This record gives sequence, structure tokens and C-alpha cells, in this order.
Amino acid sequence: MSILQVKNLTHSYNGNTPFVNDAVSNVSFAVEKGEILGIIGHTGSGKSTLVQHLNGLLKPTDGQILFENEDIWKNPKEIRKIRSKIGLVFQYPEYQLFEETVFSDIAFGPKNMGLSDDELDKRVKEICEIVGVKPEYLQKSPFDLSGGEKRRVAIAGVMAMRPEIIVFDEPTAGLDPKGRDNIIKIIKDYRKAFNATVIIISHSMEDMALLADKLLVMNKGNLEMFDTVDNVFSQGDKLREIGLNVPIVTRVFNKLKALGVDVNENVFTVTDAVNELKRIKAGDGNA
Amino acid sequence: MLKDITFGQYFESASIIHKIDPRIKIVLMIAIIVLIFTSGNFFALFLSTFFIITTLLLSKVPFKMYIKNMKAILPVLIFTAIINLFYGEGASLFPDIPVLSHITFEGLYRSVFMALRILLLIFVSSVLTYTTTPNDLTDAIERLLSPLKYLGLKNAVHTLAMMMTIALRFIPTLIEEAEKIMNAQKARGADLESGGLVERVKALIPILIPLLISSVRRASELAEAMECRCYNGGEGKTRLKQMHLKKLDYLCLIVFVFYSFAVILTNIIF
Ligand SMILES: Nc1ncnc2c1ncn2[C@@H]1O[C@H](COP(=O)(O)OP(=O)(O)OP(=O)(O)O)[C@@H](O)[C@H]1O
Ligand SMILES: [Mg+2]
Repeated sequence: MSILQVKNLTHSYNGNTPFVNDAVSNVSFAVEKGEILGIIGHTGSGKSTLVQHLNGLLKPTDGQILFENEDIWKNPKEIRKIRSKIGLVFQYPEYQLFEETVFSDIAFGPKNMGLSDDELDKRVKEICEIVGVKPEYLQKSPFDLSGGEKRRVAIAGVMAMRPEIIVFDEPTAGLDPKGRDNIIKIIKDYRKAFNATVIIISHSMEDMALLADKLLVMNKGNLEMFDTVDNVFSQGDKLREIGLNVPIVTRVFNKLKALGVDVNENVFTVTDAVNELKRIKAGDGNA
Repeated sequence: MLKDITFGQYFESASIIHKIDPRIKIVLMIAIIVLIFTSGNFFALFLSTFFIITTLLLSKVPFKMYIKNMKAILPVLIFTAIINLFYGEGASLFPDIPVLSHITFEGLYRSVFMALRILLLIFVSSVLTYTTTPNDLTDAIERLLSPLKYLGLKNAVHTLAMMMTIALRFIPTLIEEAEKIMNAQKARGADLESGGLVERVKALIPILIPLLISSVRRASELAEAMECRCYNGGEGKTRLKQMHLKKLDYLCLIVFVFYSFAVILTNIIF
């Protein structure tokens, strides 16, 4: 059973003015429980618009979102409950910090769910372990932290609600390589700890290769591809046509192949590349 | 929701009203408002109505945009009309009907008169804001106020105009930012829609604090960027866009002079 289904979703901003343009048009797909889905697409292709529908921040102009086979808008009064089950981490989430201490900021979401103080305490500590916020930071002001630390606290603020599905809009934007690896690890750890489903928007094909099971490619509001990472990244020409590309290592192997070297082109991460090179080396030795 | 607040509501179109010098538009708007307020009878007001409707049509801005502005102020309009309707002097029009017995011919007359006046005011100011970009407006205001520099207020005028320009520039950005933050807090389960007054005000804290912080950050970034480009106030600054009065502007002034003479004459005659 798919945990989340999007059916014929269409959204146009400025509904009935003369400038009608569909930011998302007739998009359908399904997400399986426990899977990591990556969403890629040129800037302005409707990725952010799409994910804001998943937890009911935007209402579809047309179409439906089904969570566990039920329309999330079936009972509009319950939409806040949906938002605690489907968490959404916005781009640059550190700009939404507002509480006096790191603890109360992380606890804001769970508190809105009406949890007891003991439970809040437990959840905050548990999530801090996952995102790597040290316990002595909890009583600090969030505004005294570094950029990367702020980002982790903000992500913890959504994770503390323990959503079954967690959606990230460009979680690694503006971070250094170490910061990026760190965020990727946090996402993986959260998924493992709570058997969660993850949806990520990213402009980094490298991150996608590392994380995603499946990729959804958006182009000008339309769903262009929805397939496994291998199948999407093997269509480099089509991706380039819509302003995207394949990971850099894949490009290296594409070039090698074009130069007549007998390599497997399905190489998307550095680990893949190392394995492929080892295989070739071993093959050479045998010959 | 927030986006529905139109501000600096310029409407792009290629009409002659758009082409009139913004300084002339501002001065004429003020003059027309004075004429409307000094008009003592319907004949004078009808002249203004005719003049303004013609301007609206010439502006090539869809009429429903003007209606939209009118709707925003409808409560004030209705309130004024009702107050005037019931507090007129003279003989009652309906002496036998309980509440309506307060209505007199005088009251009815004043009620319609005042309503028409307010309506015209809205239309006149709408023409100005729909056909002039916010930047042109502030620029024109700065120039119109520039004689104040002989009173030793040179820097004050420039600073004021610069503040207006910056404020106008950042209002859409702020609205967008506020919307983003609202969405982010809603995603964390914030409840912005229900509860009593106290709860609602409290619910604004998670939005206002990040908004304030980001505004301060933006302001200091802007200040640094301006300093990097050697901004030091109005001293010795020349203009990128010069404003010169053209034939159209003089024509416009002449038309206005005729119209105002007509209004003043009707005021004297009737
Ligand atoms: N609040 C809004 N009001 C009106 N139009 C909007 C709004 N947000 C986005 N749009 C428009 O909808 C389209 C899709 O925007 P969206 O933000 O979903 O793109 P995106 O794929 O997330 O882009 P990016 O990679 O730059 O974040 C764009 O054409 C954009 O101009
Ligand atoms: Mg986006």
C-alpha cells in the first residue's frame, strides 16, 4: 500500500485573474512507505509548490492528495493533525527560529500537538541525539548558534513532531561540503530510527544519487519522469534538455565510454565509481 | 490572503495618462481634490464627475480595478451616507413611518452629495497610483519638495524621499517573507486561525520575531551595500532619469485650467 498518493494535482496561483498559469499541472505519483523520493527540476518548475500541497499548506486547484488512502482535505478541521504526520522543512529553515532557547524552539511543534511536558522533554532529547545538538546547547538562544547549527536545530523542530513522512525543500542549500554531508546523515538517521518516508527537493544531483531510491523530475509544472535513480540518470540527454544534468562522476564515465573505454555507465556516486574502477582493474589483471 | 493587499498598485498599460509627468499628476490630483471639496452644488460635482470618468477611460486600466478600490472603502461610504441621511434638517419626507421619519430632503441631498464626493476622491487617487510607478511617485515628490532646500532642509527632503523609495521597494519582499514564515510555522502545527483574541495575538509571535530579525538583517545588508557604492546622502548626487515637461503635460495643464474655471463658475452661478 502506498503511504502517499498524489492524483492529478493541479495548482495555479492567482486563481481567477487574467494571468493564469499552472505552477503544477496534472501531476500524479505514489510514494511507498520507507522510501526516499528525490524531486529534481529546473528553478521555477513547481517543486516547492508541489510539496506544499503534501501537508495541506496549499489547497489543490484540482486533484487530490491521499495519505494512507484518505484525502487529506476530507476534514479540513483536521488539517493540523495531518501536518504533524507529514512534516515539511522549508528552504533555509533557520529563518523561522523564534524562541528564547533552543529547547523551546524544538519543542514548539510537539507542543502544538498537545503533548505533556515529560513527553516534550523526551522528544527533544531524543531528536537532539539524531541531529547532533549537544545537550548544553539546549538552554542557549538559537540566535547565538552558527549557521549550520541553526539549520540543525530548525530541522530538529520538525523532526520532534515525529512525522511519518518528512519533506525537505533544498535542505543542503548554502552549506559547506561537511555541513551537507552532515544533513544527509541526519536525514538517513531519522529515517532509520522511525522507519519514516522521506521526500527531498535538491538541486544537487550528487546528493540525490547518495540518498534517493526514486526520482521525480519536474519540468515547467509537469511531471517529466518518475522512475528509479538508475533509469533517470541514464537519460542524460533528456535531463540536459530541461536544464538538469547527471552527477559529475556519471559524466566522467559517459566520457570514458565515448572515448571507447569499456566501462559501465551506471555510476552515480563516488563509491560506485571506486567499485567500477576496481572491477575494471581486476578484469585487466585477469586478461 | 496577504498577497491580496495591493500596494504601490501600478497597472502597466500604454495610455496617455501613464505618460503624463508624475509631478503634474500629483499637483493636479491635489488641485482636483480641492475643487471637489469646495464644490457646493451638484452641477459643479457633475462637472468633476465627467472630468474624472473621462480620465479613468483614458487610463486604459480595466474599470473593475477601480471598482475593487471602491469596495475597500465601501463601509466608510455607506456609514457617511447613512449618517447624513438621518441627520438632515427640514421637513420629513416620510412623517408617518417610524424610523424613516428622520429622513428629510435636505438629508437625502447631503447623503448622495457626500457619497459622490468620497467616490470621486477614491477614483482620483486610484488613477494616480494605477498609472504611476511607486518609484516615479517618490521621485516626483522629492522634486516637488525640493524648494524646501532653501529653508535649510536640503538633506531632509532627500532622506525622506530615499526612505519612501526603500520602504516601497521592500513592502512586497516583506509580504512574501511573512507568508513564507507563516507557512513554515503552520507546518510545525501553529494554529493561526482559531482561538480568542489573546490566543491570536500570541500566535503572531512566532511570525513577528523571525520577520523582525530578517528585516533588521536586510536593512543592515542594504546599508552596507549602499556604503560600498559610496552612498553619502543627497550631496552632489545627479539623476539618472531627468524629468522634463513635454507638450502632453502642457496640454494637460491647459485642459485642467478650463475644467477648473468651469467648476468655479458653476459654483458662483448656482
Ligand atoms: N506565492 C506565489 N505566488 C505566485 N506565483 C508563485 C508563488 N510561488 C511560486 N510561484 C510561481 O510558481 C512557479 C513554480 O514555483 P516554485 O517555487 O514551485 O518553483 P521551484 O521548482 O520550487 O523553484 P526553485 O528551484 O527556484 O525553488 C514559478 O513560476 C513561480 O513564479
Ligand atoms: Mg523552490
